[in-house]
Amino acid sequence: MLGYALGVSCIVLIVGAWFLLTLGEEAESRIISPTILQSPWEVVASLPSLIIERKLLESIGATLWRVILGFSLAVLIGVPLGMAAGTWRSARAFLAPVVLYGRNMPLAALIPLTVLWFGIGEFQKVMFIFIACVPFITADAASAVMGIHDRYVETAQTLGASSRQIAFKVLAPLALPDIFVGLRHLFGLAFGYIMLVELFDAKAGLGYLISVSQRLGPRAHIYLILIIIGILAYGIDRLLAFFQRGLFPYRSEE
Amino acid sequence: MTNDKSVDNNPQVAEGKVAAVATGAVDKNSRAEGLSRIVEFKNVTKRFGDGPDAFTAVKDINFAVEDLPGRGEFVAVLGPSGCGKSTVLRLIAGLAPHHPATSGEVLVGGKPIPGPGADRGMVFQDYTSFDHRSVLDNVAFGLECRGVDKAARYELARQWIGKVGLSVDKDADKYPHQLSGGMRQRVAIARTLILRPRIILMDEPFGALDPSTRLRMQDLLIELWRELEATVFFVTHSIEEAVYLGDRVYILSASPGTILEELGVPYPDFPAKEMQRDPHFLDYVFKIRDTIESLESSDRAGDD
Repeated sequence: MLGYALGVSCIVLIVGAWFLLTLGEEAESRIISPTILQSPWEVVASLPSLIIERKLLESIGATLWRVILGFSLAVLIGVPLGMAAGTWRSARAFLAPVVLYGRNMPLAALIPLTVLWFGIGEFQKVMFIFIACVPFITADAASAVMGIHDRYVETAQTLGASSRQIAFKVLAPLALPDIFVGLRHLFGLAFGYIMLVELFDAKAGLGYLISVSQRLGPRAHIYLILIIIGILAYGIDRLLAFFQRGLFPYRSEE
Repeated sequence: MTNDKSVDNNPQVAEGKVAAVATGAVDKNSRAEGLSRIVEFKNVTKRFGDGPDAFTAVKDINFAVEDLPGRGEFVAVLGPSGCGKSTVLRLIAGLAPHHPATSGEVLVGGKPIPGPGADRGMVFQDYTSFDHRSVLDNVAFGLECRGVDKAARYELARQWIGKVGLSVDKDADKYPHQLSGGMRQRVAIARTLILRPRIILMDEPFGALDPSTRLRMQDLLIELWRELEATVFFVTHSIEEAVYLGDRVYILSASPGTILEELGVPYPDFPAKEMQRDPHFLDYVFKIRDTIESLESSDRAGDD
């Protein structure tokens, strides 16, 4: 309860500071000029124009669709690869260069590269998310499997389990809750990545809307979109946490 | 040898030296020629690493345990922390990195062991339950791996859940995080014993339990062991536990671990709680404590 109160007071403090910095009827009387930072009220008041004229909902849909598609693809490929890497030393050694390289790849450099490979369109954006996420997902899945205590494997061995049975009946199910937690965090990251491609070129999407607002105004939309992104990311995380509790009832802690 | 339960009759007590034990083991082996040996260690040494960083976990271990028909033997392995007790167990289990031995032979049923297997079940102290499986599925795990069909393995698992003192109705569908430490050890014991291994290896399985739970678990174990007629190796650092449970107690020295002493102890006839107050029982405990102390001091003298 105290933690909750502290969190709320932090938000109140930030909004309060924002309010004070943008206090005043005329531009000259404000500490920060309204061309740079609008008042909280002005930002909220710009919501109808963002929804109607800029088609906010359509952009939210476009952005989410790209992230979900690219991320799901990355999960489908990365989780099995990572679990294999965590289970078998040879798979780990084989995949290590790709994972290491991929995790250190400067993301901005991936944009021209994916344009070159996949053109400019939806497919390029999905593939960008896929390529950006797959090394992280693989590495997370591998470390989740490697984090499982040896004792579980040894117990299974002395109960006559084959290495295939250990992989599928012991390591995989024990690693899944941790992998899921890792995926929740990485989804937030992917959500951030998509803005990068959308700023670069797009016909819809939250990143595209920010870029339009910056060029054509109103600037208040930029702040509004940032707030909406935060709320969306939080909502998605809670949704995933809800699924997590349903999927893994044997985990007492979240 | 196996009928020789008295400490006083054991020729090794008076000697109490590594060399004496080595010859003692040879003597015993020749005497045991008639019976098949279920577990035998011949000059077993396990060293980790090379050069100045090398660490010798156990050194020149020799012993043989006979396969007593219709009974099995309960061998307690006693020694201070880090003396290589677990190494001995893991060598029998065939678990890496302790398996294989650096030198010497570990024989089970007269043959070198290829690796871990269900004929040598092991119960550990911690991380014992598969957290993603219910009690029923934990106990049935080994049968599942063998390909036993669902109905048959669940029926047997329910029997074993009852045998280890858990409630079939209340506990079978629980997950491990809903159980106490003692209940989890019951699950681990059921999961191992359901496979009826010829050898049961127990690595301080009750070490993390509170004293009264521990005594109850000791009684449960004795009861189940009599039914299974298997050979048990039970590692502990509690002298009381070793004397109460063991037919035979091996005392290991601190690192590098080597068998200093082999003692026969009387068969437990009444529950652990009462046994603990029995003067004969206490005599044995004190005798072993004295033996360990004298062995340790003579060891230290030898080092100088």
